[in-house]
Amino acid sequence: MATQTPAHPHKDDGAVHAHISSTPFYVAIFLALIALTVLTVGQSYVDLGRMNLIVVILIATTKASLVVSFFMHLRYDNKFNALIFISCIFFIGVFFAYTLNDTERRGELDGDQNVKILPKTGEDAPGGFVPPAAASGGEHGAAPAGSAAPAHH
Amino acid sequence: MAAITTTPGAHHDDVDPNASFLEKKGLMSWLVTLDHKRIGIMYLISVAIAFLLGGIFALLVRAELFTQGKTLMDADTYNKMFSLHGVVMVFLFIIPSIPAAMGNIILPIQLGTKDVAFPRLNLLSLYVYWFGAIFGLYSMINGGVDTGWTFYTPYSSSDPAHGGVGTATSVIPMTLAAFIMGFSSILTGVNFIATVHKMRAPGLTWRRLTLFTWALYATSIIQVLATPVLAITLLLLTMERFLGLGIFDPRLGGDPVLYQHFFWFYSHPAVYIMIVPGMGVVSDILATFSRREPVGYMAIAASSLGLALLGFLVWGHHLFVAGMSEYATMVFSALTFLVAIPSGVKVFNWVATLYKGSISLQSPMLWALSFIFLFTIGGLTGLFLGMLAVDVHLHDTYFVVAHFHYVMVGGTVMGFVGGLHYWWPKFTGKMYEEGWARVGWFFVFIGFNVTFIAQFIMGSRGMPRRYYDYLPQYEIFHQVSTIGSWILGFGFLVIGVMFIRSLMNGKPASRNPWGSAALEWQTPTPPPTFNFVKDPVLTRGQYDYQLATDDELYEGFDDPLFPGLRGGKAPAKKAAAEGDHG
Amino acid sequence: MSSEATATAGEHAHGDEHGHHGPKWLAHHFDTPAQQFDAAKLGMWVFLAQELLFFSGLFVAYGVYRSWYPEMFVAASHQLDKIMGGTNTIVLLFSSFTAAMAVRSSQLGNRKATGNYILITIVCACLFLVIKYFEYSHKFHAGLLPGRFFHPHPEHLVAGAPPLPANTGSFFSIYFMMTGVHGVHVIIGIGVLIWIWIRNNRGEFSKEFFTPVDIVALYWHLVDLVWIYLFPLLYLV
Repeated sequence: MATQTPAHPHKDDGAVHAHISSTPFYVAIFLALIALTVLTVGQSYVDLGRMNLIVVILIATTKASLVVSFFMHLRYDNKFNALIFISCIFFIGVFFAYTLNDTERRGELDGDQNVKILPKTGEDAPGGFVPPAAASGGEHGAAPAGSAAPAHH
Repeated sequence: MAAITTTPGAHHDDVDPNASFLEKKGLMSWLVTLDHKRIGIMYLISVAIAFLLGGIFALLVRAELFTQGKTLMDADTYNKMFSLHGVVMVFLFIIPSIPAAMGNIILPIQLGTKDVAFPRLNLLSLYVYWFGAIFGLYSMINGGVDTGWTFYTPYSSSDPAHGGVGTATSVIPMTLAAFIMGFSSILTGVNFIATVHKMRAPGLTWRRLTLFTWALYATSIIQVLATPVLAITLLLLTMERFLGLGIFDPRLGGDPVLYQHFFWFYSHPAVYIMIVPGMGVVSDILATFSRREPVGYMAIAASSLGLALLGFLVWGHHLFVAGMSEYATMVFSALTFLVAIPSGVKVFNWVATLYKGSISLQSPMLWALSFIFLFTIGGLTGLFLGMLAVDVHLHDTYFVVAHFHYVMVGGTVMGFVGGLHYWWPKFTGKMYEEGWARVGWFFVFIGFNVTFIAQFIMGSRGMPRRYYDYLPQYEIFHQVSTIGSWILGFGFLVIGVMFIRSLMNGKPASRNPWGSAALEWQTPTPPPTFNFVKDPVLTRGQYDYQLATDDELYEGFDDPLFPGLRGGKAPAKKAAAEGDHG
Repeated sequence: MSSEATATAGEHAHGDEHGHHGPKWLAHHFDTPAQQFDAAKLGMWVFLAQELLFFSGLFVAYGVYRSWYPEMFVAASHQLDKIMGGTNTIVLLFSSFTAAMAVRSSQLGNRKATGNYILITIVCACLFLVIKYFEYSHKFHAGLLPGRFFHPHPEHLVAGAPPLPANTGSFFSIYFMMTGVHGVHVIIGIGVLIWIWIRNNRGEFSKEFFTPVDIVALYWHLVDLVWIYLFPLLYLV
């Protein structure tokens, strides 16, 4: 990973200074990405239960950070660009966490809050999940075969 | 003497330094221009038309509510009128108003640069905006929408043509219009962030930026981070209506509250896209017309960024009664109160800026002062609505309507019109008639309060928003409100006529008619194509009245109402020099 | 303005190579190549942040529905072809690699290599779309369509996979929205890659000015980045 800056020792000359990685380095990153892809596909044949999702996301995140850091040069780039990227991830996290804070815990205190109603007939709508308070009496027959997954928390 | 441009920069040899950016004539010279000022002016004309259109819808809504039952139009038309009022005002007017129109003109000049970082992108954003507006007009010609500006599912997404139970109005073109205009907003945001970071003149450090620039910077962050979520939301909504995705429609197994999450993840921050630039305008006007550095400069700047950040954390307060998890409502309610902190920081600092300032009550200042007054009411009533228990009572009543109009009209529109008065001489090169400006302001201020105080009262007494009809006990409030809307409309009419008269035969404006120390007033009026005759180099801050030369402050300065009162040159700037550095 | 008064005095201090005095590719409103480059990179990163937020809506929808109906998601993902998806992942990763190499060649001023790497990237992007086309057409045959159009034909389903619950249409809504929006980005990517390929052939880029190649490559890596998450979330869990 040689940097090409010998002709411009200081930054004030107004010329562009960009990091240049070596070809073998890019090849190595690429091979690592392929290896991780094979790993994640291989892992999918092994059932780890709820860990599946976590493992899959961890592998994907590793791959993503390789791409971002080296293919996209963020590792060597202006620190502010990295800040943009990180804060963008932060806001996505906020979006995700807050929305799931609602959808995962809906109806925990008041079961009536949770029932989806068909506007025309007033019946329970398909796809609604059984509110914990009314789990026994819920009438979710409109959606057959397992669509009414119980809310878990 | 320290001056803004003591160190000479490069000359622009290929540009006649005396030629204003308005010199070139012909439609094509406007349509293909890359000059940020011309793009800004085209934006300004567009948003002015949108404001007129939205205003007409508003007057029609108010007129219909003048009496119980049917006054002018049937209920379906009424539903379309208030929806179109919302859509036009939000997406076509308020969001581009200050950032894209006024910011485009002023921001690069305040940064001492020749143009925004990406001029082509800037022009593209204008075309994208127009392209979106065409979709909006198409929808209106096709009967408009009656969903409200929020396009809540399942009413908006369940198409009767496919056996749904929702609205049959022209929803898809209107959502596409908002979708497309969102990209215009994003492109402007991208452009401004890069411009503020990379294009500042030498000597223009972050602490020397104007507060308007800070506000636009904070706004741009929101535009870039929030607007794409609106885009994907509206895309999903369109597909839901088109293909029956089953993500938002409960009849297909979807969740309408999820739509509200998606929508408000954009639209609450969007409220700050609307108000923060207005705050920036007001900060600049207050500094100029108090002749001093704003008290708590860094606090005001930081609170703009604080609002940008907090704006993303509170969207759930729109969903308190929508069936959201109780835990989520508690979190969102608590976070909502935090918004009061940066807002309060701003208001207190503005008031402190006035204290011992050398105040001159000219028309821009009148708008800025009404901003503070009305925004404070709007902000405090927001706290009522952020409170869980109170919101259950007030949700979807006229109290909410009055609250956000106090923020949006009392805030943003006051800031926008104030900024228009303030920078009008700079970018048109013409003065307007100060007397008429004050008359217009008076009617707007009175009319606005009459319109919306009545709505606060009837809202707190339970009058629901968006209703076509109402019970007899609300009639008096509706009538007062409608009469207020006429006064308000008359005020805007006066201002519109005043500006048109100024364009036609206004007196030429001097370089610095308000005696401001900021950078945009140190370049010729109207500015040359590259904004400055020479690249400016700053040796002082833009609010440093104590460091500005007499030449910079008082060239051609005169009181517009009482000519000769101040003479050509004011004696000194004692008041300004006294200003502490809060 | 005092500077106007002194405008005739001794300026031309150090800024004369500004704007029109600089190289052709330096826009008039930038002072130095570095300023132009940094502004472009910053603008692009801000734009990429926007892109990520755009996709985030789909990921949140995915997260909500997956956590509501985990069994349905597992059953539905068995209908997706891991091998095709995996191949596509490798194709896209390879194109990302060649895009990075294109930037490298451009930084070194090697026009020919730059052009070739861009070309390979474009070919990979097209290959990705071809594979995607075969996947989509299988889904259409099997009736595995979004929402209202979800009518599975048992004879076309993967044998031995768990039975599909009635609301599996939601999964395919999310699947088609995610891959569809991603596919649109691939198509746009092909467009901009062709654009810089042509510009590269015209010899517009050099060691000093390779910004457009860099910017387009950043965009292309983002397309790759999104797929890195889409693939496991849709196909593997």
